[in-house]
Amino acid sequence: MTNLSLADLAGYLRQLGEGALITLELFLASFTLAFVLGVLIGVATLSRNRIIRAAWRVYASIFMGVPSLLVIFLIFYGGSAMLAAVLGEFGARIDISPFGAGVAALGIVYAAYVAELVRGAIENLPKGQFEGARALAIPPFIMWGRVILPQVMRLALPGLVNVWSFMLKETPLVSLAGLQDLVAAAKIAAGATKEPFIFFIATALVFIAFSAASLWLANRLETRLDRGQRRAPVRSPARAEA
Amino acid sequence: MSARAHAPDLAPEPAILLEQVVKRYGAHRALAGVDLQVRRGERLVICGPSGSGKSTLIRCINALERHDAGRIVVNGIALTNDEGTVQDIRQEVGMVFQHFNLFPHLTALENCMLAPRLNRGLSKAQAEKLAMAHLERVHLADQARKYPARLSGGQQQRVAIARALCMEPRILLFDEPTSALDPEMVKEVLGVIEELAASGVTMICVTHEMGFARRVADRCVFMDRGEIVEEGDAAGFFEAPESERLRHFLAQILR
Repeated sequence: MTNLSLADLAGYLRQLGEGALITLELFLASFTLAFVLGVLIGVATLSRNRIIRAAWRVYASIFMGVPSLLVIFLIFYGGSAMLAAVLGEFGARIDISPFGAGVAALGIVYAAYVAELVRGAIENLPKGQFEGARALAIPPFIMWGRVILPQVMRLALPGLVNVWSFMLKETPLVSLAGLQDLVAAAKIAAGATKEPFIFFIATALVFIAFSAASLWLANRLETRLDRGQRRAPVRSPARAEA
Repeated sequence: MSARAHAPDLAPEPAILLEQVVKRYGAHRALAGVDLQVRRGERLVICGPSGSGKSTLIRCINALERHDAGRIVVNGIALTNDEGTVQDIRQEVGMVFQHFNLFPHLTALENCMLAPRLNRGLSKAQAEKLAMAHLERVHLADQARKYPARLSGGQQQRVAIARALCMEPRILLFDEPTSALDPEMVKEVLGVIEELAASGVTMICVTHEMGFARRVADRCVFMDRGEIVEEGDAAGFFEAPESERLRHFLAQILR
């Protein structure tokens, strides 16, 4: 620690902490949006309606094909114009913040991946699950909420964990639209102090901590969603306690 | 025929009425104009070779399959495309499937409680009491807190029967309830269905278990190629089949 006083270091680390909080908020908000939107789209694409299916194909090919950064820029720089076009005078007065643009862009892009996972999981569920619910006169809305989606979440969980990790690593892109997130704070600190290693490694450690926490969360969730899936243990003399 | 626990209701209206019911899958006619009346409290067995339309027939009764032509009336309610009507009919008709179709993420008890809580407005305590009573009836009260994967096939099917009973339906449909079971479990499931048969509920059972049919059925129906070929009381049906097709079928399964 050559030309960096302890007070300066503490100050920059505090900025890093604030940036980390923004990154976390951005991530949680965009994942939530991607998840909710993705589930809705995933269910909707099972419809036999041709227009819905065509719309899904267009949506998926755009947002799975275009780099997320481009979508962020498009919404950040072009969003006001788009809102003005849709909402008129009122839309033109809405200011799009980097944070809002980031949430919208990452949410919309990753909703396509979530939708694909959800759709695949629903198609893999035995038809009998739907029929069992219908025969019991369970209304469709509750059938989805109580019978189908809990099982879909179990099937889609490994894929969702992937989306989650990927999104976490894509959040720094939003700093290019001016969001003062963790990576932006690290870049400023590294530039000002000429100590890139300290701040970039500290930033890397924060991301590692985030993903360790994610893994822990995913395991807990898996245990919870897997309840009822274990078969009865085969009785064997060696494991009498089973 | 054995004496009934309850005399059938003498109301003129049948529990189930089918008139010229047609179901098509593309060019194939799964049901080619079926007429059938089931009296209240009657226990009907439907048999026939695979692909004969017997499952399609009972699946049309609770609208799991929509019929293309003809008329279906269940407990006085004419089945239409209206969702409300379909729900009304499903409230009256319980169904037991070949592959049980239990919800794997819910315990036996929760499987039984779900529909009564939603459809009959029962509190959690009431629904639990009801579910336990019906699990008791299928001799599974001690397994109530287990998940389906922890139960044997026979036990799963009995939970499925209890789940259907929790809606207190006036009609029960069984779609090959023992076909997916290991042989040693068939008896426990048929035993439970026989106990139900004595309770006076209207029952239609698609099955190849001919011993069961003889013991339980008031009437047997033989289907082939989407038609009812022959029907009669259980005794005559097996001992003196009239049609060549039924004789052939019985020779196949009783071999």
